[in-house]
Amino acid sequence: MKYAYYPGCVAKSSAPELYDSTAQVAQKLDIQLVELTAASCCGAGVINEGNPFLNVVLNARTFAMAESMGLDILTICSTCQGVMRHVKWQFDSDSSLQAKANEALAKIGMQYIGKLEIKHLLWALIEDYGLAKLEQKVVKPLKGFKVAPFYGCYIFRPPEVLQFEDHEKPTSLERLITALGAEPVPYEGETKCCGFPILFVQRETAFEMAASYVNNAKQKGADFMVTPCPLCHISLDTYQKKSLNQIKVSIDLPVMHLPQMVGLALGVEPEKLGFSRHIVSTAMVLHGW
Amino acid sequence: MKSQEITFRVLRFSPETDKKPHYDTFKVEVKGRMTVLDALENIKHEQDASLSFRRSCRSGICGSCAMKINDLTKLACKTRAAVEASKHGEVLVEPMSNMPLIRDLIVDMGEFWREVDRGKPWLIVDEKQAADLTKENLLTKEQLQISSKLADCIMCGACFSDCVSRVFDKNFNGPASLAKIHRFVADPRDKGGVGRIEGLVTIGLWSCTHCYFCWSQCPRDVRPVVAISALRALSFDIGDKSQGARHVAAFIDSVRSSGMLNEATLYLRTMRWNTLRDFDLILRMTVKGKAPSPFGRPIPKITEVRALYRLAHEVKQK
Repeated sequence: MKYAYYPGCVAKSSAPELYDSTAQVAQKLDIQLVELTAASCCGAGVINEGNPFLNVVLNARTFAMAESMGLDILTICSTCQGVMRHVKWQFDSDSSLQAKANEALAKIGMQYIGKLEIKHLLWALIEDYGLAKLEQKVVKPLKGFKVAPFYGCYIFRPPEVLQFEDHEKPTSLERLITALGAEPVPYEGETKCCGFPILFVQRETAFEMAASYVNNAKQKGADFMVTPCPLCHISLDTYQKKSLNQIKVSIDLPVMHLPQMVGLALGVEPEKLGFSRHIVSTAMVLHGW
Repeated sequence: MKSQEITFRVLRFSPETDKKPHYDTFKVEVKGRMTVLDALENIKHEQDASLSFRRSCRSGICGSCAMKINDLTKLACKTRAAVEASKHGEVLVEPMSNMPLIRDLIVDMGEFWREVDRGKPWLIVDEKQAADLTKENLLTKEQLQISSKLADCIMCGACFSDCVSRVFDKNFNGPASLAKIHRFVADPRDKGGVGRIEGLVTIGLWSCTHCYFCWSQCPRDVRPVVAISALRALSFDIGDKSQGARHVAAFIDSVRSSGMLNEATLYLRTMRWNTLRDFDLILRMTVKGKAPSPFGRPIPKITEVRALYRLAHEVKQK
């Protein structure tokens, strides 16, 4: 398995533990990641609100880079995946937009043909690697852990664009958690929005969203949460204490990035997975690991 | 015709006798492509005549039967009972969210309508032009395309019911309202001009999180979230200085300058003095080695990104 690797901005900035843990997991599973070091930010749905065509051409440039390598794109950020797939979907359903983007790309000597796939690590593990094969690679099953999956939004909504699993009843994270030996915990909020997109604009609303889901998961007995999106991780981990303060709840719940959880089960030492960078301590989970 | 017994768990509430809602369970023999609405009618006619719910056209046109089916708001007349049961093991039926409950599956939609009205959901015409009956005011096919997609909205309230922001932010007018506003903004006959856009900041233009529930749950595929993004882009263009627009400006500047998002400058430029509220957290992030640096280096081939920025800017100016 070989991919054009698009880690996204946050994994290379405020969530370096996501970048590091992905490298560890890729090594363990023999997945080759060829990083698109010259790719730009995907726009995170924000550039689209200032200049929609800029959003389109920046992503077209990234697509063209991956295509020239003959590889599909792998992301570790649900938001990047959502935005990039949305642009690809726009191209697939409007050839004139693709032609217009290609006119712009031609000025920098590039072209987007339209033959690539964009997938998140979660999808790649399930569709390309296979959970049965992954299960065989588990050397330290996460036995006894109750894990609250937090899907967030862009991993499966809108369904026409993402086309991975049933958005009304997603199961991919639950299946992954089970394959790693842990027990998924159902709770209210696992498919809702973490609040991050409005964290800097409507802070109190964003806090209430994140806090209520963390609280629900904790009440259902979760030992930790897991998320495929680093932006959700900012809301759920980095701002957890502040958001819980707002709803006057005094608890804490560790939140793992997807590859951190996978890495643990594959036998990667916790110190290589970057847990020390978390704001909410993971010590209770890793005690005696 | 294939038939199966399906369990329906239905929320019940009678304001005369109940202090709080409870659930009643009914078994219904579901045949073939029977809808949830068919099943509710069956329950009402054969098991409990007191069950209350709204319905009218039974064809997905009137929007009356919007209700929560297994946690997501849908039109009961368009939802197959057997499909729901196959996914969830039962059919859980509840009234819409974000609106006060009146009885059983009936909510007070006044709150929804008030929010729609905040956006002036009507065509603002040029009286002089409208009075001239000698000329038709025709739209081109292209112009019609934009507004007709949005005009497909049947005001069922599904997007409002499933809107995550609305749960926590009662000032947010919601997806249907903003989609309706964009329907008129996109209509060249409308003379509301920038005035339609200017007031939107105060009624929730920047409150949407892009959770995409309004897209996935709309029975008419109106995609309100797309309309919201388009309205934000228009607001940005006419000089919106709100925190939401500052966030967009800082984001674009960051990508133009380095190719990547600089989380530090984005945060500082959006939050300004409010940054101080997170001083403790920034210190903590620094200690943990995860505070983003404001001095990010440009990506390789940044000139390509800047060239694309200039081209996209020219396209926008045109």
